[in-house]
Amino acid sequence: MTTATAAAATAAPLAPAPKRRRARGRQRTTLAAWGFAAPFVILFLVFLAGPIVASFFMSFTDMTTRDLRSPLNVEVVGFANYIALFQDPRFLHSLVNTGVFVIIGVPLTMALALLIALGLDKGITKFRTVFRVGYYAPVVTSIVAIAIVWRFILQPDGLLNAFLAVFGISGPNWLQSTTWALPSLILMAVWRNIGTLMVIFLAGLQGVPREQHEAAMVDGANVFQRFGHVTMPALRPTILFAAVITGIGFLQFFEEPFVMTQGGPLDATLSAAMYTYDQFGFGNYAFASAASYVLFLAIVVLSLIQFRFLGRKD
Amino acid sequence: MNHPTTTRTRWLAGTAALGIGALLLAGCGRSDEPTSPSAEAGAGIDDSPATGEIDVWAMGNEGEVLDELAAQFEDANPDATINVTAVPWDGAHDRIATAIAGGQTPDVTMLGTTWVGEFAPTGAFEPTPEGVVDTSSFFEGSQGTTVVDGVSYGVPWYVDTRVLYYRTDMAEAAGLDAPATWDDLTAFAEGMRAEGAASGLSLPPGGPDSSLYLLPFVWQAGGDVLTEDGSAFAFDTDAWKTAFEYYNSFFTSGLSENVRLETGEIEQKFIAGDVGAFYSGPFHVSLLKDQGGKDFEDKFAVAMVPGDQTRTSFTGGGNLAVFGDTDNRDTAWKFVRWLSQPETQVEWYGISTDLPSVESAFEDPVFADDPYTSVFGEQLSDAKAPPAIPTWAQISAIIDQEIEQVTRGDKSVDDALASIQQQAEAIGTGS
Repeated sequence: MTTATAAAATAAPLAPAPKRRRARGRQRTTLAAWGFAAPFVILFLVFLAGPIVASFFMSFTDMTTRDLRSPLNVEVVGFANYIALFQDPRFLHSLVNTGVFVIIGVPLTMALALLIALGLDKGITKFRTVFRVGYYAPVVTSIVAIAIVWRFILQPDGLLNAFLAVFGISGPNWLQSTTWALPSLILMAVWRNIGTLMVIFLAGLQGVPREQHEAAMVDGANVFQRFGHVTMPALRPTILFAAVITGIGFLQFFEEPFVMTQGGPLDATLSAAMYTYDQFGFGNYAFASAASYVLFLAIVVLSLIQFRFLGRKD
Repeated sequence: MNHPTTTRTRWLAGTAALGIGALLLAGCGRSDEPTSPSAEAGAGIDDSPATGEIDVWAMGNEGEVLDELAAQFEDANPDATINVTAVPWDGAHDRIATAIAGGQTPDVTMLGTTWVGEFAPTGAFEPTPEGVVDTSSFFEGSQGTTVVDGVSYGVPWYVDTRVLYYRTDMAEAAGLDAPATWDDLTAFAEGMRAEGAASGLSLPPGGPDSSLYLLPFVWQAGGDVLTEDGSAFAFDTDAWKTAFEYYNSFFTSGLSENVRLETGEIEQKFIAGDVGAFYSGPFHVSLLKDQGGKDFEDKFAVAMVPGDQTRTSFTGGGNLAVFGDTDNRDTAWKFVRWLSQPETQVEWYGISTDLPSVESAFEDPVFADDPYTSVFGEQLSDAKAPPAIPTWAQISAIIDQEIEQVTRGDKSVDDALASIQQQAEAIGTGS
């Protein structure tokens, strides 16, 4: 798109033309722009916007597997799916789990990622690259591979309990305990997501003007004062961005329970996304769509709150 | 953590786009007529050689080795071409749903036996034409998995059933024979415990598909999922109570450890002697031989499941169905017919180690003389599948949950069964 505009712009002065022709030239530019944008726009409409709108409508019907071939047969049921959803104790339970996951997971990931980013930005210089790669590795590793390793760690006679045994503590069966399964998965998700945030924070930290730090140092500010008054304000937009994407990510908590516990034991790790996925699997398409929209609404609300509290205060 | 979004979105692309079309175009409203073109079987298939191309979907290991068998069909029918597509089990269910929604189906597909009840009501499959196969040649339990509302859709291709795997050396040391009744089984598990096994009999205390372990006990006690006429759920019955209490007794008495062992863990524990016995399908024979090595081969055996009124076990496996939209109906059915011949099935066992769905194939020495497969053959004549109702997946998930609550001691069997009955009634049979 940029190239096309630039080409058209340089072509114009070569032939100084009357106004009408320039207008037509601009028209052509717009057309070219749309031409270049078209593949994305079409794909977006067909594969994203269309289905999103469709599933919204679908959430007001009674569509199940039996209607796959003849969707004309569905009946409109109004808000029945939404009402049934909020009457299902399992769904409410999944919302609570998701809430716990977000409330613990998001701050924990952000705090740890920021700490590591600060450390990598300033502290250790020699092995910086090694550490950056190390912390980012979980992000790019397949969840299935991770799951196998973590199962090994979390097994009743696994690595973690062997480690605890050194201190005379007998650890629980982490993934099959209703108390410990969710914390275990949160820990795993936090570990997995730190890498992404760390990279974002590192980039943010590199954008903090060195002169301000130097000025603060000259004024006698200590490390903590410099962090609070120089680094943090400059990092605010980065933190907002990180909070929003982490919040959305954790609200969609899915892969960890899907691979490690299938939502169990006794729904202790059932997340809203997992619940929705199950319903699709059962062929309850309309009902699952309704659940998706509840989750979608929760994401919108959470993001708005974050913008409200972390957004630029002018 | 972004994957679920993409998966879900892709999902919606396949299925939901039609939903909106439906709402915009139609005044909406479920018609009382069946959605299928007709639930009547089409014309029969003649014996002339097959011609033309057909596309076949097969899952898992079957998808990978079916080409070998299909080549033999192509040799016998030079004008026919069979294109086999291997579909991973994980995505297979969704893929078939998407294909049906988009009207882009292959000619023939393999189906999990419990999917027939869900997909048949879409009207996407062609009812099995009269005379294509002899339906009485299959194991009754397997043939039953193709039937929805009295109409058979496709044929059983291979079967899978659960038998009791046990440690012969430990049983001998304890002075026990393979158990035949529930009382024997309890004594057997006690004996195994005395020989040092942590779990005399390993049973899942909950989690996915635990219901498939409880269900055979219910059948053995004379119960079933649905009432006799198939119109209502029968969870609040004595048979369920008896079976569930017996199942739970293994946990309360400590004969079974309250741990869920997945495939991969269980064979290790079995070989180590931590598990004395467990229920599983035929695939465990070679798995145990491989992992246990030469020394272990004579330390385990399989036996028919012990029983109460009957010795019924669970049966699953794969069916073959022909889609109604096929362009080459005759060849599709001819291929299916050929796959369900006893000789082909024996051949197929050699390629895939899948057990034949045709009863007479077990008369072949390959099965009759084998100490393991002969037991499976015997068990298959007393094996059942869950009812072919569209909501089965949902209901079995509820049973899984309740089993877990009971084995954890959070709920009584009575409460669990009342809860299963009530939730199942709310969901309905879906037909």
